[in-house]
Amino acid sequence: MSAEKACALVKELHRNQGTLPPYNNDLVNEVTKEITQLIQENRNDAQESERSRGSDLLEGVSYISTIRVRHAAIQRNLRCLLAYHYNRVRSLRTMRWEFGSILPADIKANLSTAETNWFSKYSSILAKYMRSVGEDGGVNLAVDLHPPKALYIEVQCLVDYGRYELSDGSVLLLKKNSRHFLPRVECEELIRQGVFQHIVI
Amino acid sequence: MDAVNNSGEDDIDINIDDSDSEEIPLTAAEVIERMEEAWLNEKFAPEILPNKSEIVDCLLGQISYMEENLQNLSSNDFQKSLHQMEVDRLRFIITSYLRTRLEKIETYVFSIVKNEEERSENNQLLYLTDNELQFAKAYKGSLEQHFEELLRFWPGLGPDDWKKDPVVPNMSSFVFAKAKSAVEGVMLDEANDDEEALVDLQSGSQIIISYNSISQLVKNDEVCLI
Amino acid sequence: MNPDEVEFLAEKQLISIIPTFNSNVIHLISGDVGPFRASLPVRVPLWMAINLKQQRKCKIQPPDWMNIEQLEELKEEEKRSKTFVKMPSEHYMIEAKLLLNYATDDISRADEIRTIIKDIWDIRMSKIRSSVDTLVRNAGFYATVDHLTLMEINTMRPLLPHALDQVYRMKKAQSTRLPTQSTTLSLLNSSHRGSSLSS
Repeated sequence: MSAEKACALVKELHRNQGTLPPYNNDLVNEVTKEITQLIQENRNDAQESERSRGSDLLEGVSYISTIRVRHAAIQRNLRCLLAYHYNRVRSLRTMRWEFGSILPADIKANLSTAETNWFSKYSSILAKYMRSVGEDGGVNLAVDLHPPKALYIEVQCLVDYGRYELSDGSVLLLKKNSRHFLPRVECEELIRQGVFQHIVI
Repeated sequence: MDAVNNSGEDDIDINIDDSDSEEIPLTAAEVIERMEEAWLNEKFAPEILPNKSEIVDCLLGQISYMEENLQNLSSNDFQKSLHQMEVDRLRFIITSYLRTRLEKIETYVFSIVKNEEERSENNQLLYLTDNELQFAKAYKGSLEQHFEELLRFWPGLGPDDWKKDPVVPNMSSFVFAKAKSAVEGVMLDEANDDEEALVDLQSGSQIIISYNSISQLVKNDEVCLI
Repeated sequence: MNPDEVEFLAEKQLISIIPTFNSNVIHLISGDVGPFRASLPVRVPLWMAINLKQQRKCKIQPPDWMNIEQLEELKEEEKRSKTFVKMPSEHYMIEAKLLLNYATDDISRADEIRTIIKDIWDIRMSKIRSSVDTLVRNAGFYATVDHLTLMEINTMRPLLPHALDQVYRMKKAQSTRLPTQSTTLSLLNSSHRGSSLSS
């Protein structure tokens, strides 16, 4: 049926929200092929109707409705193509904010050439804007994404880690099950490593 | 216009560039208050609002001045962590405000650039900062280039068809608002032309209302969005 | 709006603390705080109070309204009143939550206070639900929400503005009799309209 492939294209993107599936070159080509074909069929019908004009008016009318339906299918195909490509660009945009100007390799591999170009362009437009904010060489807008919370957090040590030096030079002895009250920035790495567990009150 | 960074004094010489361009000296606390309000207004207004770059620049100046001073404090100084926390809080408001504007610029780029050009031709107050306008134009250019390249392979689409009906903000979307002073005769948009209703707002009263009924009041600082 | 952001706004409220340390005035950008004299009460922003409390550098004095008698009274009033009662604090819920989390030891009968505040919240929430229902049923395009706190307003945000928006569109379509089918083709058109940006 008409425009089914185009719809599949959009659905594919919809299913993969939050990630970016590989650019579906094959399906895009098939959709454009379908459009070309529909346009050709409409041209043929239009010529046919032109030829039959004068001989029989009613004959001409019957072409109009098929032409209209095909036209609607062409429009729908185009619209899906636009939606597919535009939404991919938007999701690339989000990734620029998430990962910075260098994309992880697995995502990079999924872009079309045009998308790769767009990404680096957007990246530099955005960087240029950030540098221009304020009078002191710019503001990085990709940080401070959430309201700041307490600087200190309470953590529980999950393993016998031993001595740990804080950035101010003081040394802590981290024993299993010991509890500590530390600046959040000092803990983040150890929380990631599984040494600390953040105690949420 | 000039945001002069003070050094511990209470008054900051900043003139918020309203139509009546009188010098209004603001304290740093008042600048922060205005920044918070601008942040919330921008967050909830469907359209992009006139920029508040004087306030942003003034606060950024205060922050860098403070950060310079903090470098001289030892990291054991407990005052340092308090200062740092305040700086982080202010940074969050500013960056969140600027991010919100960028998101709007991107989403509505075609209509925003067009409106801004019209404002410029008519010598009206511009909404975007120079830098934002540059960003907007470059972003628009990047989309155009991307799609024009694609469109060469697609039959059946006129060159500008894809952008002739661009996305525009929904100006009648509903917002929560608070009257900063008493406002009389707010015309309610009732969705049809034959009915017209007027509402008076008392100072401090809170309402839910369609944005286009109060958009001008938000820009005039008579009403703020919450 | 993210609840974290509502909390963030509430954290600038001033509150009394009793410091356990001495310190000169701190010149914050937002204004001076202090001086701090051990065991003399001083007003500081809530975010600072909690920070100091976490470092065990102060006791927090709960706000006047945070006591059983006053809250019981408030709860009764909220029950009796058809409209929303003005709360003693613009951010009562968040203040209570933060103080009850971080300074339980400074609040007498903390558990009871927690329960009463939750009751008040629940009463107000059920009023919100029924008034939202009335508003949408009457297809109203304007309503006052006086005395509702930001946190309460925020609970309506995901639904009410969008519901009203839909009603508005239907009414608009009815009055202007727009053609129902659009033939324009565009990448950037109406699918995006009406989605509110970053609430």
